[in-house]
Amino acid sequence: MRNASTWAAEATSVFVKEWRCEFRTRYALNTLALFAFTTLVVVSVSLGPLGVSRAHGTAVLPVLLWVILLFSVAAGLPRSFVQEEETGTAMALRLAATPSALFCGKLAYGLTLVLALEAMLTPVYVAMTNLKVVSPGLLAGVLAAGGYGLAAGSTLVAAIIAQARSKGTLFSVLAFPVLLPLLLLSVELTRLAVAGSPPGVALPQLLLYDASVTVAGLMLFPAVWNP
Amino acid sequence: MKNLLAWLLWFVISAVIVGAFWYAPLAQGFLGESSRILFFHVPMAWVSFVAFIAAGVWSLLFLFRGRRPKDDRAAAAAVELGLLFGVLATITGALWARIMWGAYWNWDPRQTSIIICLLFYAAYLALRSAVEDGDARARLSASYAVLGLAVAPFLFFIMPRIMFSLHPQSVINAQGKIEVESRMVQVLLVGSAGFTALFFWIHNLRCRLQALSDRKSAL
Repeated sequence: MRNASTWAAEATSVFVKEWRCEFRTRYALNTLALFAFTTLVVVSVSLGPLGVSRAHGTAVLPVLLWVILLFSVAAGLPRSFVQEEETGTAMALRLAATPSALFCGKLAYGLTLVLALEAMLTPVYVAMTNLKVVSPGLLAGVLAAGGYGLAAGSTLVAAIIAQARSKGTLFSVLAFPVLLPLLLLSVELTRLAVAGSPPGVALPQLLLYDASVTVAGLMLFPAVWNP
Repeated sequence: MKNLLAWLLWFVISAVIVGAFWYAPLAQGFLGESSRILFFHVPMAWVSFVAFIAAGVWSLLFLFRGRRPKDDRAAAAAVELGLLFGVLATITGALWARIMWGAYWNWDPRQTSIIICLLFYAAYLALRSAVEDGDARARLSASYAVLGLAVAPFLFFIMPRIMFSLHPQSVINAQGKIEVESRMVQVLLVGSAGFTALFFWIHNLRCRLQALSDRKSAL
């Protein structure tokens, strides 16, 4: 039986290993950032030089922000598990760490990646689309809670698709139905943040979603990971 | 005995068809004869709900009770049938919405949740076809189905509450009152029971067929 400190050490080493590998190639960071900015430019150009009116902006712009985030995550996050299977390091990882520690390490890596992306993308998005946010604090909270949900859902689905064929397309097919309730709640909350309204029941629901996906992930990951 | 049950099922489903068109009265506040489609729409939606819950339970049993291939076959068959009944419920609902709301599709919360649900279970089948190894396929698809159980409450209980809905109140609503005429309730209940039995009958056939096919390919 392993004790808590070994577990924490394992989770931390997985997290550190992920970022060390990431800084060697910067594959995920570059893909995510470039994908997000390309989509942002497409969105901004398509909206035209005048952008959208304030009334329409509150309805439309939060949707576009979350769609960009969702597709960027789909482009970059599955890599962390697919790479383990492709380079044959998955077996060594199975021996080195307990499944729950590995899941938490990978989740922490995914979360930091998504938060870094949001920190880079959101200010540029707000500036380019001329979006006026009345409660920036709520927006930051929604981005954090929504980003966590994106990372948690994607980590488990990435572990599933890494062992299947046609990994790239399969990730989108499997992850989007799981992430859609999160997306609807996040869009709703972002609209409220832009309009300056109180968050109401949607915020506890978003946190509840995060909690249930985390519990499901911890419960299911051993079955997904160990053959 | 099995033959007798099949005949009984045939009789119940026939009775529901007769009851829907000749026995039950028209519902108040519905245009023309449009309320009659509900005697098929409600049981189909109910069966697809039952099928998805059953698929989740069989997946849980597979993962945490000995990894028996029988449970995996049962879960996969339940998803296939749930998808079939779900599509039928969506089509009948869309036809009804065209008459009552003026458009086949208008992203009512119920329509949103059923479409996400159908996407989820179509993805489940896509996952099954993308894994060649039988053991890995069972393990991965069961995990995905259980993840669906964790997300489903948000689709069925929370989203319809935060979004404005035109969908009529369920037969058994929050106040615990039945607000539908009693002859309609009788047909709806018999219909739901009959369709549920139909589901388990087809499900049983499908599982046996799949078991034989697995045995044949193992030879």
